[in-house]
Amino acid sequence: MSTDKGNKNYWKSINEYNDDNSLKEAKHHEFMNGVTDEFEPDQLSGISRRKFLAVLGASTAFAATACSDYADKGEIVPYTKRPEEILPGIANYYASTCTGCSNSCSTLVKTREGRPIKVDGNPDSPINKGKLCTKGQSSILSLYDPERLQEPLLKGRKISWAKINGEIVTALKTASDSGKEIAVITDEMTSPSYNKILNELSQKYSTLKIYSYKQFNQKTRFDAWEASFGTRVVPSVKFNESKIILALESDFIGKEGNFVENARLFAQGKDVVANKKMSRLYSVEGGMSLTGMNSDYRLRLRPDNQFDFVLALIDEVSARLNKPTNGIPKVTMNSFVAKNNLNEKTVKYLVDDLVENIDTSIVHAGDTLSVELHKAVNVLNSLLSGNKLYDFNNSFVEIRKLTSLNDLKTLAANSELGALIIVDSDPIYHYPNIFEDAFKNVQTKIAIVNSKNDSSAVCDYILPINNALESWGDHQVRSSVVSLQQPVIAPIFNTRQKEAILLSWINDTAEVFDSSYHAYLQSSVKELFYDLQKPSADFSKYWLSVLHDGIIELESEKLSGRLSQFSLEKPAKTTSEYTVHIQESYFVSDGRFANNGWLQEVPHPVSKVTWDNYAAVSPGTAKSLEVENGDVIKLTSGGRVLEIPVMLQPGLADNHFTIETGYGRKVVGDVGLEVGFNANILFDSTFIFGIDQVSKTGKNYKLASTQEHHALDDDFVKDFHKSRHIIQEGTLEEYLTNPEFLKEHKHDVFSITDDIEYKGNKWAMAIDLNKCIGCAACTTSCNVENNVPVVGKDQVENGREMHWMRIDRYYSGTPEEPIPSNQPMLCQHCDNAPCENVCPVNATNHSPDGLNQMAYNRCVGTRYCANNCSFKVRRFNFFDFRDHFENEYYNNDLTQLVNNPEVTVRSRGVMEKCTFCIQRIMDARSEAIKEGRELHTDEVKTACQVACPSEAIVFGDSNDPNSKVAKMRDHNLGYHVLEELNVRPNVTYIAKLRNTHSEEN
Amino acid sequence: MKKSVLDYTLKIRLPLALFVVALTFIITFYASRTERDGIGYEPEQPINFSHKLHAGQMDIDCQYCHTGVEKSRHALVPSVNICMNCHTLAAKDKPEIIKLTEYYETGRPIPWKRVHKVPEYAYFNHSVHVNKGIDCADCHGDVRQMDVVKQAHGWTMTACLDCHRNPHENISGLEKVKNGPTNCAACHR
Repeated sequence: MSTDKGNKNYWKSINEYNDDNSLKEAKHHEFMNGVTDEFEPDQLSGISRRKFLAVLGASTAFAATACSDYADKGEIVPYTKRPEEILPGIANYYASTCTGCSNSCSTLVKTREGRPIKVDGNPDSPINKGKLCTKGQSSILSLYDPERLQEPLLKGRKISWAKINGEIVTALKTASDSGKEIAVITDEMTSPSYNKILNELSQKYSTLKIYSYKQFNQKTRFDAWEASFGTRVVPSVKFNESKIILALESDFIGKEGNFVENARLFAQGKDVVANKKMSRLYSVEGGMSLTGMNSDYRLRLRPDNQFDFVLALIDEVSARLNKPTNGIPKVTMNSFVAKNNLNEKTVKYLVDDLVENIDTSIVHAGDTLSVELHKAVNVLNSLLSGNKLYDFNNSFVEIRKLTSLNDLKTLAANSELGALIIVDSDPIYHYPNIFEDAFKNVQTKIAIVNSKNDSSAVCDYILPINNALESWGDHQVRSSVVSLQQPVIAPIFNTRQKEAILLSWINDTAEVFDSSYHAYLQSSVKELFYDLQKPSADFSKYWLSVLHDGIIELESEKLSGRLSQFSLEKPAKTTSEYTVHIQESYFVSDGRFANNGWLQEVPHPVSKVTWDNYAAVSPGTAKSLEVENGDVIKLTSGGRVLEIPVMLQPGLADNHFTIETGYGRKVVGDVGLEVGFNANILFDSTFIFGIDQVSKTGKNYKLASTQEHHALDDDFVKDFHKSRHIIQEGTLEEYLTNPEFLKEHKHDVFSITDDIEYKGNKWAMAIDLNKCIGCAACTTSCNVENNVPVVGKDQVENGREMHWMRIDRYYSGTPEEPIPSNQPMLCQHCDNAPCENVCPVNATNHSPDGLNQMAYNRCVGTRYCANNCSFKVRRFNFFDFRDHFENEYYNNDLTQLVNNPEVTVRSRGVMEKCTFCIQRIMDARSEAIKEGRELHTDEVKTACQVACPSEAIVFGDSNDPNSKVAKMRDHNLGYHVLEELNVRPNVTYIAKLRNTHSEEN
Repeated sequence: MKKSVLDYTLKIRLPLALFVVALTFIITFYASRTERDGIGYEPEQPINFSHKLHAGQMDIDCQYCHTGVEKSRHALVPSVNICMNCHTLAAKDKPEIIKLTEYYETGRPIPWKRVHKVPEYAYFNHSVHVNKGIDCADCHGDVRQMDVVKQAHGWTMTACLDCHRNPHENISGLEKVKNGPTNCAACHR
């Protein structure tokens, strides 16, 4: 394929770019090879003739007895005493807090008949404003995980709470009396009350020491801020007001900081439809991150060179602004650019932009970079905007300073440890090189965890704790707001709050009652916040009111943020030929969500790989290493060895690997077991380090990627490719000079039939590709709302993933410098839908309000519709995936509770697809009927729309000219995919504009 | 085989046999229609509750007990505490009420037999129908006259569609109401 100017050819993978023959062949077929030929009866099930007859006999006998009354319709069992707030059939919403990561986003939990079925962001929260990330959305499945710990265990045997607690307290007393250290290892602290309890515990047991750690954290940012400004209150960044953003190895809209908030702010700056202007994002990185994908300019730079890059920038900027800096090692930009082979033009643009927009440019460094680098960035930012883009009213605060890695190493070396208490964390998995053999000789080992993990496996006492949705709590990570957590369901198993367990040790009570923490929390909130705010209401009213809102808003102390320190030390640089960057997984985080099938199955936002991690490597380096996709390589660093498959990732820096961790856990439930590779065994003390040796193993491993699935048949239409315009893009400048430049691509389409007139509502969606960042929160929200099953890695390999909504990712440019484009793809609800015409049983047809509807009970599974769909958005249930997946893992009474009762659970042999959340439309409609009014156009919000952190998705009635969606439909940048087919999609895409300089077109 | 025998078999016996089979099928089909639709289904309930007494003679409003009908998808079989609003005092020495009180006091739910059930894969919403002014009796029959509740009408897709297509002919007092939706997604999702 050629890339001629102005008419990009888009490619989805290296193979496609290289015109790989097997891929071309694959594209000619509707389904991937082997997908449809698995239906030989003897293969399908291993059931023998004998067994079949036995089952037949038994089922006949069963039928004979069960059908004694064929008219029987079962029972209706009402409440004996119906709780006042529960009306069966009507959902209740409760404000709570997500504890999936340290951002502690405030959530709104939807419950039906007392069981939580959906978690969304709390709209009242000033931080996440009603949005929640992929992990938060999916965390509801963890509540119904049948493999959660259900009972207290002593050496693997069930035991009562009173008994196990008695033994533990005695052991702790012995340890404390003998002067031996009791080590408490806990997750990053976000709860002031929990912190208070730990302090009280350390008063009770004098030798008790607290180690609070999180594998991926903002510690470097905090440390650098403290060194530069003398405080550990770090302001957030007003990305919405920034004109120029420079991200240094930073994935601030993907996984660092409060990325949900960042994505919203960033997208506000990209809202060209509303403002006719947009910010410009430069990304300098070694890997390909979500932030890098969304950048206007991107520079490939190995992260070990980042420090020199910042120094060169300081040098250049300070010279241009005539603000000399002292005590900073000098690196000149010219020599740096030449040495690292950077694009001179881009660097020139960057420096010009920074200098010209001095008040509105911000440099943001990644969490995994060194403290020294963050300090240098602080200097650079002081040279530029000063404090103008920092939001001091909304700073990040620490409840307890994180323990340094050195202190953890000291703990591991302590052979005189009296007792070990692991609370809700997994240090042995995160730091195998530190803790693998550390606790062998400790007598009392206690794990207070939610489900088994590598660390609980070495403990004798295992105390199961509640899921976040069963817990009380208060969480403060920001100076302006405290988020309260309330249980939305009584504990399903015999579990307790971790705080209640610790309280029982403080108070010497044998039994553990969650109510004890409930009372403690109230008094703590009274002391910490109520007494401070002195509201007029009495505390009990105040408590109910803040619990209802889910948040307590606080006055932030005003900070000046004057730079106090300038000198920098240049850290030692790696001399290795190769470097590796260990990163947090987008979806399974640091491994805590490894047992969550929904999260394992979300395609990686960049590579589209599911159910695995891999070493991403640039195509150039892969060539020089002579490896291809899936080849297993061996990485050696300081004697530590990791074998992991490679994945060719366009746009990576050469001689550099990026590996996401969170996979390869040894002790985990069925879902996460033997999924991926544990990259933590390579980790020593920093996330970016040199690799001594890279070698091929000759082994091959299959990665399940959705990247090449559902590819359109480019080969057949190769000559039309330029006119297809599935992705339409331009530059901001192009748009501003000629707002109608897209219309040049418009097609003259005509119909041989009369158009159908849609009276009343006509539902339509618009997706602003300038705001969409490709984070997949929509995909997950859709999964939860619409009961989309988990299919497992083997089925994804066959192309049978069931997601109703996917994010298509196209590349243009070259494999070295790719320009990625994202496009959420879902059922387009075409007015002239090709799928409808071919259904032999009329199971899919059009509704008067413009929906392409799908009647599951009418579908016979011919799959003609999927074959005829121009967008490949229809999904077929090749199995009943609930009982097919991993030993029927999700086919049990408990996990079924996660299903949305308003949506049919589809069974085998049925086609399904996006319904535009018909249940929500009908819900809004019934509300309107109840109130005797017309349906408002903006009343219906689809699940994906609610979840979208960047508010890229708009849904509404396109027949109402005042609705937002109608305006987007008529917008100059609005276009429909495959318009020339005259299928008349009801999903409008707003073309992506890149804010690049005009020569770059 | 002789030609006459073959003739007899083909010309008389076979058509006759087919006719008898078809006739049997058609008669059975129509004769069993009401039975198959569940019309007249009248199961025995755990408590001998009489709608005729409560709704008929005492003229208690349907919604006094079926509290969800205006607000929710479900009309709701009343929770026992609603019964006990009256029956802590009323008729408390009757055997059925003693049974009821026992349910209430032990906290055991009453396993009422289900009489009305919309077919699988259909989502029915009571509140939209009631708020449009459709009388309970239009679908449930005259429950006020029933000692034991039984199904009065068929609950097939046809039954739904008949009214959705022609509400004015089928239901009185609905002059202002538009036709109900008849698209798939109105009920199936």
